[in-house]
Formats: sequence, C-alpha cells, structure tokens
Amino acid sequence: MRRKVRRLMAAAVLGAAAILPACSQSAEEGQAGAAAEAAATAALPGRTDMLVMSCSGCHSEAGEAIADLSGYTQDRLMTALSDYRNDAEGTTVMHRLMRGYSEADIEAISAYLGKGKAG
Amino acid sequence: MSRLSLHRRSVLTGLAGTAALAGLSPAAMSQTKAKLVVIGGGFGGATAAKYLKQLMPEASVTLVEPKQTYHACPFSNLVIGGGRDMAAQAFGYDAFGKLGIDVVRQMATGVDAEARTVTLADGAMLSWDRLVMSPGIDFRWNVLEGYDEAASEVMPHAWKAGEQTVLLRRQLEEMEDGGLVVMSAPAAPFRCPPGPYERASLIANYLKTQKPKSKLLVLDAKDSFSKQPLFQKAWAERYPDHLEWRGASDFGGVVAVNPARMTLSTEFDDIKADVANVIPPQKAGAIAEAAGVADQTGWCPINGLTFESRLVPGIHVLGDATIAAPMPKSAFSANLQAKVCAAQITRLLAGQGPEATVLANTCYSYVAEDAAISITGVYTNDDGTLVSVTGAGGLSPLEGEAGVRAAEAAQAEAWYRTITKEAFG
Repeated sequence: MRRKVRRLMAAAVLGAAAILPACSQSAEEGQAGAAAEAAATAALPGRTDMLVMSCSGCHSEAGEAIADLSGYTQDRLMTALSDYRNDAEGTTVMHRLMRGYSEADIEAISAYLGKGKAG
Repeated sequence: MSRLSLHRRSVLTGLAGTAALAGLSPAAMSQTKAKLVVIGGGFGGATAAKYLKQLMPEASVTLVEPKQTYHACPFSNLVIGGGRDMAAQAFGYDAFGKLGIDVVRQMATGVDAEARTVTLADGAMLSWDRLVMSPGIDFRWNVLEGYDEAASEVMPHAWKAGEQTVLLRRQLEEMEDGGLVVMSAPAAPFRCPPGPYERASLIANYLKTQKPKSKLLVLDAKDSFSKQPLFQKAWAERYPDHLEWRGASDFGGVVAVNPARMTLSTEFDDIKADVANVIPPQKAGAIAEAAGVADQTGWCPINGLTFESRLVPGIHVLGDATIAAPMPKSAFSANLQAKVCAAQITRLLAGQGPEATVLANTCYSYVAEDAAISITGVYTNDDGTLVSVTGAGGLSPLEGEAGVRAAEAAQAEAWYRTITKEAFG
C-alpha cells in the first residue's frame, strides 16, 4: 500500500489517469502476522506522500508553462530541485519554494516522483 | 513503532493479516466501514472528497454541495477586467460519480457532533465517522453600515464568483467614459489577500484601454497588503492616471455605504461612485458556526497537522474558513490542505497518529492581462502549528523585467488548468 499510495500521488503529479487497484502487496509480504503488521504501517500515507502533494497543485500534463514531471528521472529531479535550493540568486517560484526544503526531503521527493535512476 | 501500538492497530484494523493474504491492502480493508462526509464543493472540499476516496477505496465518501455548477474565484478578476469568458470559470461534479463519490445536491443546515450527523435542507440526515468541512466564506452584512445582501445587488462584492462577477463586469461595461469606480477593500483576514489589488489592476487596465477618462479609487481599511511593493510599482508604471489607492492612514477605511445614493463614506468624506465594488468583512461559511467549529473571531481554529478542529473532535476544517495563518486563504492552500487532511484521516482511521510534513503555497496575481506577479510560502506543521520556514518563500523580484512578468502570467494559466483539473476533473 505504501507503493499504492506512492503511485497514487505520483499519478496525480505526473498526470496518469488511472486510479490504482488496492492490491499491490506481494503475497510474501503478507505471510507472517508481524510482516503483515509492518506492511500495514508502511501502507499508510506518510511524510513523503504528503510532501509531494504540494507538487500536484501546479505540475501536470495540463499546464504548458509549468514543467510536466512525468518525463523526469530521479537523478534529473534531484539535480533540478537541489540547484533551485542552492542558487542564492534565483528568483523564480521554484527557487523561493525549494529554499524551504531540506536536502533529505528533496532526495525523498526525487526518489518518489522520479522514474528510474539514471539520466 | 512499538509492539504495543502495533498490537493496538492490529486490533483496530481487524483482519489485517487475512487481508494481506488475500492480496488486499490491510489499510484498505481496515477502512471498509468508514463513513466520510465532506461539506462544500470548492477547491478544498472537492479535492478532499477525491483524495479520501482514492486513499480509502472501500470507505463511503459523500460530498454535500447544493450548487450544480461551481464558479472558481481564481481568474475571475480577468472576467471583471474584460479579458476572459465566465464559462472558463465554471466547473461541475460529473467526474465524482464515476469515482464512486456520492454527490448530494443539498445545503447542509446542521451538524450534530455528538450524534455524528449532518442535517440537510430537505430534512435528510447523513451520519459520519469523520466530517470534513470546507465551507468557504460568508459576509458580515451590516458591519459596513448600509451594506446588506440587497445592497450587494447595487454595489456588488463579486467576492464569491458567479452572478456577482457578471454583475460587476456589466456595470463596468455600462458605465460612461469619465466615470468613477470605487472599490472598498476590507481589513484582514479575508479570502484571497492579494485579490482586491489584482482586481484593481485589471479594472484600471480596462479603464485605461477602453474608457480613458475614467478612474478607479481604492478605499482600503488597512495600510499594508499582500504583494504591495509589486502592485504599487506596476500601478505607478502602468496606471498612474487611472488608479488611486487610499490606505487607512489617509482615511481609506469605508464605514458606511448608501446604495440609493451610490455613496461610500469614510470617517473623512462621502464619495459618489458610478460603479461601486464593496468587498465586505468576512467570516467562515455559516455552517461552521452552526457546527461549533468557528470561534469568536468567526473563523475556525485547526490543528496544523490534521486540520482537525481545535473545538470539535472528529470534524476537520479546510481552506478559507480556517485560521491557518501563515498559510493564506487561497485556492492553492485549500487544495493542499485537503490532500494532507485526507492522508492524515487515512492514518487516524487506521489507528495511527498523524505525521509531520512540509506544506507550500503559491499565488499568482495579474497586474495586466499578460503580466503577473507571485507570492510563495513554505510551512512546517511539526507541533500541530503551521510555521513559515525562515529564508524560504517571498515575492517575485521587484525589478523583474517584462519577461519575468510574462513568464509568471503563463505559469498562472498553467496553474489554473492543473489545479481545477485536480479539484474538479
């Protein structure tokens, strides 16, 4: 369900239309009681799921002047967001926003929304 | 997580293990019986209903909204300025049924927090396990002497988009060249802090280009306002002969109006207007008071983690109705608060505590049809209180070249398309 929530939020940001089915857990994960409980905890939306909720208010395939993030890899997102954060001279909306996020949060957002690692 | 809380949750979630074996998400199973009701189909409520259903597919989600068509406030100042069709502001709820959300076209007239019910105008009752209220604003009639609902038919507020927007636009179109338009701007807090000044810019733009002998006078109940240096620079550059702003120190605050004589009175003078746009003092939508979630200020105190009312447990409040400062009363805020609130309700219903995160806001304002400025903010909510992150957020550059203003106008258009799709599409 962590994966499900993640895909749901990513779909909102990235523009995928489908709402995902409720079952994304592997059978192995659910075998033992403890594993099931751990999985249930992981299933619930947490900090990163909520972090990326800010993105989908502006970023989608519907807007032209604001980047659609669906083509971004994790590395490309990480570089872009970190550059915004660390450019003291920058004045765009994204510069002003990213200064409010820690490197750890930027890494989590990039891993969450990025497709694949390379690029 | 401790064993104790694990145990507690597994009891609360019932058949968690079985569900996992069956290939179903335990969290989804645990919420099978949850009844969730959302009051208000604006940016906050519409988004909340969609996210609640998406995060908890087995829950019953009901959206209570009397209007068949919602008219968005963002971008409605462009309609007033003459550069946009009202149809571009209209949204329906057709998508909601397909998502499995029940839309009830009724006004909510009462909330019983003990019995956990909502009463509707037709007498029907809805019961809930969690209630989300996104009631928007209502006006404090007669706080400005003489300004009641009847007066707003003569001197429109146009602060809820729809007929009022069209009325103000028509009055501007019908005004003879050489006329005086007067706007009364309220003291904070009110819906959309930069809104009056965006509207002033776009009315001045209309007068300058279509009725150049006319003028707009803004009478303001305060001395400072959102994006002030950017607006005032744009006004000085673009509308020096068509826009005059009077702050509270210059007796800008309107204390009374007379719609029969078309006058607005400050403590200093009476001003006769050809068109008067009175943006009155505001409070949370009336159902908030009926539910007991509004305090003596008329607004709703909330926990900044969960958006649960600080006055009535089990009821969450979103958007313009809330006391969420430093988060502003904006469509962006309402939409984001709805998403975060839906996530936290998912956690609470599974027996888990809320989790802290980082929230943001971005608001664009047009200063002309092809030029916009922006304000941004970033907020933490660690202890249940929303706090601005120091060093982040702020305004567009004051010395932004024409390209910067044009770029932000294009971004504003993209934002509008995305956020309305997320809320209503």
